Amino acid sequence: MSGINILHVEDREEDVFLLKYAFKRAQINNPVNVASDGQMAIDYLAGNGQFSDRRQFPLPCLVLLDLQLPHVIGLDVLAWIRKQPEWKRLVVIVLSSSIHDNDIIRAYELGVNGFLVKPSDANNLADMCTALKQYWLTHNRFAPDCTPGLKAV
Amino acid sequence: MEVFKIVNEHTRKPLGNPALEALHLKRTVILSGHTLLLTKDGREMPVDDSVAPIRDVSGRMAGTVIVFRDITEKRNAERTSARLASIVENSEDAIIAKDLHGIVTNWNKAAERIFGYTAEEITGKSVRVLIPEDRQAEEDQLLKALGRGERLEKLETVRRTKDGREIDVLSSSSPIKDAEGNVIGASTIAHDISREKTMEAELTMAHAELEEYARKLEETVAERTAHLQATIAELEGVSYSLSHDMRAPLRTVQSFSQIVLVEAGDKLGATEKNLLEKIISAAARLDRLIQDVLTYSRVSREKIELKTLDVEKLIKQIVDERPDLQMPKAEVDIQGPLPTVRGHEAYLSQCITNLLDNAVKFVPRDRHPEVCVRSEVHNGHVKLWFEDNGIGIPQESQQRIFGLFERLHAQTDYPGTGIGLTIVRKAVERMGGKIGVESEPDHGSRFWLQLKKGEKK
Repeated sequence: MSGINILHVEDREEDVFLLKYAFKRAQINNPVNVASDGQMAIDYLAGNGQFSDRRQFPLPCLVLLDLQLPHVIGLDVLAWIRKQPEWKRLVVIVLSSSIHDNDIIRAYELGVNGFLVKPSDANNLADMCTALKQYWLTHNRFAPDCTPGLKAV
Repeated sequence: MEVFKIVNEHTRKPLGNPALEALHLKRTVILSGHTLLLTKDGREMPVDDSVAPIRDVSGRMAGTVIVFRDITEKRNAERTSARLASIVENSEDAIIAKDLHGIVTNWNKAAERIFGYTAEEITGKSVRVLIPEDRQAEEDQLLKALGRGERLEKLETVRRTKDGREIDVLSSSSPIKDAEGNVIGASTIAHDISREKTMEAELTMAHAELEEYARKLEETVAERTAHLQATIAELEGVSYSLSHDMRAPLRTVQSFSQIVLVEAGDKLGATEKNLLEKIISAAARLDRLIQDVLTYSRVSREKIELKTLDVEKLIKQIVDERPDLQMPKAEVDIQGPLPTVRGHEAYLSQCITNLLDNAVKFVPRDRHPEVCVRSEVHNGHVKLWFEDNGIGIPQESQQRIFGLFERLHAQTDYPGTGIGLTIVRKAVERMGGKIGVESEPDHGSRFWLQLKKGEKK
């Protein structure tokens, strides 16, 4: 399902690079947009300012969300997403270095679809992305409004 | 013949026959009033006596009439009265008599001592001089009640002394009646309770001080607790950012080195490749260390609840998940059935994992690791033994190994962070248990952990 747009919410350039590299190794070719803090992620989804241009900033069907973000933290972004009627069905997966039980519990309470811990090892990250591709982008069915073309413009 | 015998009651000397005196003086004679008549049966009877001459019609003395009056009762009454007077006079409490207008008629020594007025000063004056202005109404009510013949007991009140001091007294008043039963006055017994009152006030004050002290102490405790909680929250924040801020750059070091190795490996010489590999393994080790410190700090702080756990099942699960604990790499022999224990699943799991990992790790390279897990039950406690065939631990190092960052071996021989057993010890302590080791170099180690036996389901 190469038409599925992915939004990667991550403030660290290195981690953005590492995920991009791991996607390449896992042969994930989907379009990836990056929001570099929590507020930007909300603006992106809400179509505020420059993000109203959906050709350049297409609506995502899958969000990979870091938790430790400047300005608005990841859990608050998640809470905001689940409060918007149009984003209730959005697949959100936490991709964080946090191994705190409280973060994991809170994320599930807020309605996250999955919780992945960033591996320190590039090879492990590539393996994780391969699994992500297999599960979320191959076998998983998204809600019908994520079908390419319906929401793209 | 002697008809009667009389003596002076004080001197005990026999007295002459009063009849002779009367005859001699030719008139009536009244004796001293200190006469004792000795009766025929040997009793002594106080008597009043008088002797009067009897004259015939011509006026000649014809004889005498002797009259003895038994005054035993009168004497007794006098004695009782004197005794009562003495009791009143020597009482510790003020005893005051007054008429129905409140005018003092009697005033004992204690009254003088307590109130300062002598009997001469106050007799004939109103008792109201003893009563403070704001309590004058008390006396009005008292006099009314006494007039109706009522008693008033144990009135706790305040009275004023001659020198103007106010003292606390406990006073009881009762009416005085005449022979016909008419109330003619009142007697008041006043007990000075100033000392008791002072002590009571001191006690109240001491009590209040104590309460104040306890309150302050509670305040201090609450303050310190709040401070401690704030510190703990701060520490949690530190450990939280540790996991992010320290691990993130490490991830970059490790992953980027790996990428360089993959992408440009064929352009690098063997030395450069080796250096990159060293960077990668150092970063991995540091990451492992940070994760262990985080685990240790979490195990130290978290609130946990103990449950009955199937320890045998838990060990089997751990072995199943870890290839390093399975054949052909190693052999773990569980001598079941093992009893259930009281513990926290994640903590016990962490302990068992660390102990088994160590058991197969610290084994000479040419030896096949074998671990035996068995149990003992003593007095409601379960001791779990983890016995290996490894290198063993010298006696002098056996306590050190549970300390933070303590390591006995070089990183190249047996890699590790030096936190594993510290986590185990802390986790066991948090579950209310104990841990220990018995070992000899090259004869293997026998680690044990002791927990409460589980409750029957």
